[in-house]
This record gives sequence, structure tokens and C-alpha cells, in this order.
Amino acid sequence: MTTVQEGRIALESATPPSIEADGLCWTYAGRSRPAIEGLTFRLEPGRVLLVLGPSGSGKSTVARALAGLVPHVLPGTWKGTLRVGNLDVAQTPARLLGERIGLVFQDPDSQLVMSRVDDEVAFGLENRAWTREAMQARVPEALARVGLAGFERRGTMTLSGGEKQRLAIADLLAAGPGLLVLDEPTANLDPPAMHATFEQIAGLARVRRHTIVLIEHRLEAALPLADDVLLLDESGRQLAFAAADAVGPEAVGLLERNGAWVPRAWQGVAVARAHEARAAEARRSTEAGALLLEAAQVRIAYPADESGTHLALDGVSISVRAGERIALVGPNGAGKSSLLFVMTGLLRPDAGTVRLRALPRDGEAGETMRDPARLRAGEIAARIGLVFQDPELGFVARTARAEVSAGARAMDRGRGRDAHDAHDDHGADGVLAHFGLGHLALESPFRLSQGEQRRLSLAALALRPPAILLLDEPTFGLDRRGTEAVLRLLDDLRAAGQAQILATHDPRLLPACERVVALDAGLVVFDGAPGAFLATPPYRPAGPWRDGVALAIEPSGGGVDDTPGRAAAPR
Amino acid sequence: MARLVAGIVWLVASIVTLDPLVPVRLILAAVVALVLWSGLPLRRIPGRLAPLGFAILSLTAFSILLSGSNADPSLAAVATLGPARITGPAIAAGLAVGLRVVVIALSTLLVFGPSDPTRMADSLVQQWHFPDRFAYGTLAALRVAPFMAGDWATIAAARRLRGLQPRGPAAHLREIGGRLLTMLVAAIRRAERLALAMDARGFDSGIRRTHFRELRTTWRDWLTIGVAFAVAAAALVLPR
Repeated sequence: MTTVQEGRIALESATPPSIEADGLCWTYAGRSRPAIEGLTFRLEPGRVLLVLGPSGSGKSTVARALAGLVPHVLPGTWKGTLRVGNLDVAQTPARLLGERIGLVFQDPDSQLVMSRVDDEVAFGLENRAWTREAMQARVPEALARVGLAGFERRGTMTLSGGEKQRLAIADLLAAGPGLLVLDEPTANLDPPAMHATFEQIAGLARVRRHTIVLIEHRLEAALPLADDVLLLDESGRQLAFAAADAVGPEAVGLLERNGAWVPRAWQGVAVARAHEARAAEARRSTEAGALLLEAAQVRIAYPADESGTHLALDGVSISVRAGERIALVGPNGAGKSSLLFVMTGLLRPDAGTVRLRALPRDGEAGETMRDPARLRAGEIAARIGLVFQDPELGFVARTARAEVSAGARAMDRGRGRDAHDAHDDHGADGVLAHFGLGHLALESPFRLSQGEQRRLSLAALALRPPAILLLDEPTFGLDRRGTEAVLRLLDDLRAAGQAQILATHDPRLLPACERVVALDAGLVVFDGAPGAFLATPPYRPAGPWRDGVALAIEPSGGGVDDTPGRAAAPR
Repeated sequence: MARLVAGIVWLVASIVTLDPLVPVRLILAAVVALVLWSGLPLRRIPGRLAPLGFAILSLTAFSILLSGSNADPSLAAVATLGPARITGPAIAAGLAVGLRVVVIALSTLLVFGPSDPTRMADSLVQQWHFPDRFAYGTLAALRVAPFMAGDWATIAAARRLRGLQPRGPAAHLREIGGRLLTMLVAAIRRAERLALAMDARGFDSGIRRTHFRELRTTWRDWLTIGVAFAVAAAALVLPR
């Protein structure tokens, strides 16, 4: 086990361990219910385990338990046993566990410690007391293994999302652990990066020199890689542990109920028809709604760039009409967020104009198109709203109910109506109930689960819905049920005439939108129907963008390739 | 490490005396050092000092006005400002104070400026024997600091878009308070994730860490320290 003292070690030298759990149960300190309960399974060495379950089902807790973070770092109550190889996790000190196990999290920015790539890879090795010579030999090896050869002196902040995740995997591999645990490693990545990450994992799996535990809910990509599957329900109890080969279309109901995105090939005919109907509904164009926003030739340079040559947006024009639902897509860094901010007036373009249809001011006859940056806060809120990727940053009140009525209150005050209706409080409760948050009216927004927070951030804009709703990565971190819930709620708002723009790099949302605007390096490269976009994505390589939609919640009609190029879905 | 010592030495030297010429010499030395060591281009130095500009000017002005020597009737007044007299020594003393602040600022730039923060942390741990936890914890925190700035902007943006526009000082204070609270939550969340990641990689597990980058105190370091002391001494002692 102690390969630490030796200088030179091959990259995959530790023997992959088996994993054995018996009645494993963990309750975090201060919580009344266990995060995971009754886990009992055995994973043979060198196999790949796929852990599935809805959001909040304790999948991350499984990852932490394997790494020994639970119970050695995080406080709580442990029951049952968990053995990794011949080590009992609960009895073995964290540092001995650390030598055998590596863990990768979903947010690359929150797991990279150092500012330079080579320091970053060496960090884990330093912690395990490797000699300097050994580290200097190992760092380039680990980087080459993940395709980052030559990146040693780069700053970690200059890397793209995909590169950062690859760096995290390099960190993982550098210490030569036998067990690799990856907790939703592709959640934050755009399709090409996601594709590359799955390829990386597939490569590691093929070599069979590690035991791998992968937490994912994109079955189409992950299931072909897996040997065994562990399914948890929303309370963290074990629902099933089976060989991946044994998981087939008959398990669709069970899987979907528990958050997984099942391969399209498995969906029964009735289900497919229902999806088709919804897609058609989404595509139904409302009569040319009123023009709500018009942006013309907008150019914005990156703030940190003094020379003004790197443009976040380079001559972007877009118009938005009432009732439209637009998907704003593009790889990370294409300019989606910049465009959203320009539309709300939070960012002033260096060139070009943005005009938003605003309510008439005193003395004016009708609505006029104005520069959103010049509007007062009360005027803006009535016309355009933005739901942020991290809902917590947008919360303004102490309780969920106050959060919902805050917007209405502010708008009333902005228009000179000081008395806040008690009627509005009832309105707030009604909205909360509609969004499934009725029982949480008096809770602090910060104590809600991720899915609840997402719904609350939508609910906060539902009492006085703005004419245009912008959403930045609205389904990030949500499982299938969460995503469907959000889309249903958005449908309701849209039925009342709201225009919606979903900025996302998740192609699964495309079929639910009637129009796709694609950005690439600050330019609009596509503006049309989702079907056309998916048939020929305007990106190089196009594959990942097309394949990504195979995981979609509904088929988008003709012209789309079926199964992705890799291994076929089982049965 | 030499940088740290040099910075401290000059800082002390500038405080020790009231003679304004001393800080001027030290300023020259510091500027030279900054340009040579930190690679900071000459024209960017005033930009870096700009945030302190107001403080420096007001300190200097007030020191001149309020200096004791203004009250001394034996000294001739160089200028008058209404009822106040300003004497020669007062100006000298005021300038000394102002210039001293400039020296302090430059010394700080020298120590903490564009130099690689990782190197700084390594130096603290390897040469000054700071505890690992503190030095590398702070380094990690520095690395995520830019995200905090982004969060603050996002929080402000979100509030404006919800229609919240504070009017009046009390409302403004409440607004800032609200923003700070949200910021605190965001900061803690990020810190937890990063700390967990560091733990997962074996940080602070009781093993004595080794170091990827070696920082040895070489003769060059000692030479630099010697020069720094010499410069400080010269600045203090040389006659006008």
C-alpha cells in the first residue's frame, strides 16, 4: 500500500480495490434524517459503478464516504460498514484512505486550489509527502495522460471549463490511487467538454487498472461505461444494485421517477407520443407578438482587456417578441451572459443600441422603446427579469413568502403606490403553492434544497411577471424531475404572453423552445428553428451538440440523428 | 523573502526620522527596486498609488496646517491662509508625513505586489516556518477572491432588476446590509466546497508536506538584504 516512499511509480500501479458496503447509513450532524440508508452491495475490483438517484438523494454522500471525508472530516453519525479494498473506512485514518482514493467534484472552480497548473497537480502530491524528484517527474506524466501536455506554466484561471475538469482528473490520477470517484463531473460543461470528459473516463475504464465510481444522471452517455448500477431513491435508500447489462427499457419507469434521463431508444411509444405533443405545443407560434426588445449591432469588450480587441459580443443583433421562447446557446465563453446583461441594461454596450419596450411615463401617451440602462428600477422590473444561474445570489428577503412579494412591493413603490396590499400576501401564498413551495412559506431561502431554490427564484418573478424573462442556465444542477417541473412552470408563464430566453449550453432544452439563437465567440451564428440547429449545429466539432440532444426530454421531430457514435444503448 | 525584509527595513527607516529628505531617498530606492524586481513598468507605479492619493494629499495638507511650528512666533511665515500662518519648518514636517505614506505604500507594493502569490506562500512556509494551514488556506482564498467580486456585482444586479431601489440613507444602509448577508452566504458556500476539495486531496491530514517548488535562501537573498539595510542607513545618515 505504501507506495509513497518510493520515488518513481507508474501512473496506474495501485491495485484497484473492491468496495463492500453493509447496511451503510450516514446522518449529517444537525439533520434529523439520514442522507443515505441501508446501502449494501459489493463491487468487484476494476469495475465501474454508476450511482443514480434524484437530486438530494445522497449520491454525493456516497462519494464522500468512499473518500473518507465522511466520517473523518464532516461530522455526523455513521452506521454499518464500508470497506475499500481491505480498509474499513470508519476505522482507518483519513490520510491512509487518501492514498488510495481520488475524488473529482462537479464545479471545477471550487476544487482547483493553486494558480498555476503544475502547482495544482503537485498539491495533492505535496500533501502526501512525495519527494521533489518524484513530483517533478510525475506532474508532466499526469498532464500528458489527460491531454494537457505542455500546460505546466499556464494559469489555472485561463483554462476553459473542459480543461479545468481535465486538470482535476490529472490531479486525481497523479497520486496513483486505485479508486477514482467522480461526482457529476460534466454538470458544468458544454457539450464538447462533456463529450471529452466522458471519453476520458471511458479511456480509464477500458484499461481496467482502476475501480471507478461515477455519479451521473445522463444515462445515455454513462450507462455504456458502467459495469454495475446503484440506484438510490430520494431519501437516500438503496432501491437497486444490479449489473448494468440487466438494466433495460423495462426499468424506464423506475429510472425516470428517480431522476435519470433514460436513453430515447428506451422510451415506449405512448411516452414518445406524449413528448411529441408537448414539443408541437412548444413550437406553436403565437401570433406575431408585440416587439418587446431590439438589440442592434451590440459590441462589448471584455472589461479586463484594455486594448479592446477581445470582444465579448461582436456586432450582435436580436429581437424578441411577446410569447416567444428562445434558447440562447453557445459554448462557455461565447457571450451568452454578456448578451443577457446587455438586454437588462446592467451592461452598457461599447457600440450598438438596445431598446426595451417600457411602460409610459407620466405625460406620455403610450409605450415607447427605451434604453434599459436608463430606466428606473421599478420600470425595469416590470419589463424584464433575470433568473441567475446561482439562485442564492438573487434572494432578497428573509422568508420564501417575502421573497415572492418583494418584487411586487418594489414595483408598487416605484409607481408611487405606498400602501402594500394585504391582498398581495395572499397572492404570494398562491404563487408559492403553485410552485410547490407552499409548505416552505416561512423558511429562509438559503435553507432550501437546490431544486426548491430554483423554483423559488422563478416564483419570485411570478407575482408580477415581467414581459420578458431571462434565465441563465436554469436547469443547472437539476435532475430530470426538477427540469420538467421548471419547464412546466415556464409554460404557465408563457401562456400568459411572456417572452422567455433560456441561456444554456444544455442541448436537452432545445426541443422545448421554438427558436434557437446560437452564439460563438461573440457572434450570432444561427437564428432559427431547433430542428435545423440540431440537424447541423454551427459548431466544430458538431458531434457533441447533436449527440447531446439524444438525451433530450422530447424528440424534436425529423432530421435528427439517433444514437450517438459510441457504444449502443443496452438492449 | 529578501523582498519582505527589504520592505520592512525601509518602512522602519522612514518612520524613524522627521527629516523629509529621508523618505525621498527611500522612495527613489523603492521605485528602482520595484522596477527591477517586480518588473512593474515605471509609468504604472503612480496608477497603483492613486487610490491612496487623496489620503496622502489630505494628510500632508493637515500636517502642514496643524504643525506646532506654525505657532512659534520666532519663525517667519512663508505663507498665510486666512488666520493661519504657515512656516518653513511646518512645510518640511508636513511633506515628511506625506512622503512617509508614499514609502509605506511602495514598500507594500514591493512585498505584496505583482509577485507570484504562490511564491509568497511558499516563502512564508519554507523560510519563515508559517503553519501550512494558514499559508495555503490563504492562498486558496486569494485564488477565489475574483469570484467574490463577480458575486458582488451579480448580487447588486439582481436587486436592481427586482425593482429594489433604496431611497434615503436608512434604506441604503439596509440595502447594503442585505447584500452583505447574501455575499456572506455565497462566500461560505464556496469556502466549504473548496475546503472539502482540499481535504479530499489530503491537505492537513497530519503528514508533513513536502514542497514542489524549492525556495532556498541563497547568497543572493542575503546580498539583497544587506543592500537594503545599506540603502536605509544611507538614507538616514547622509548629510543634505
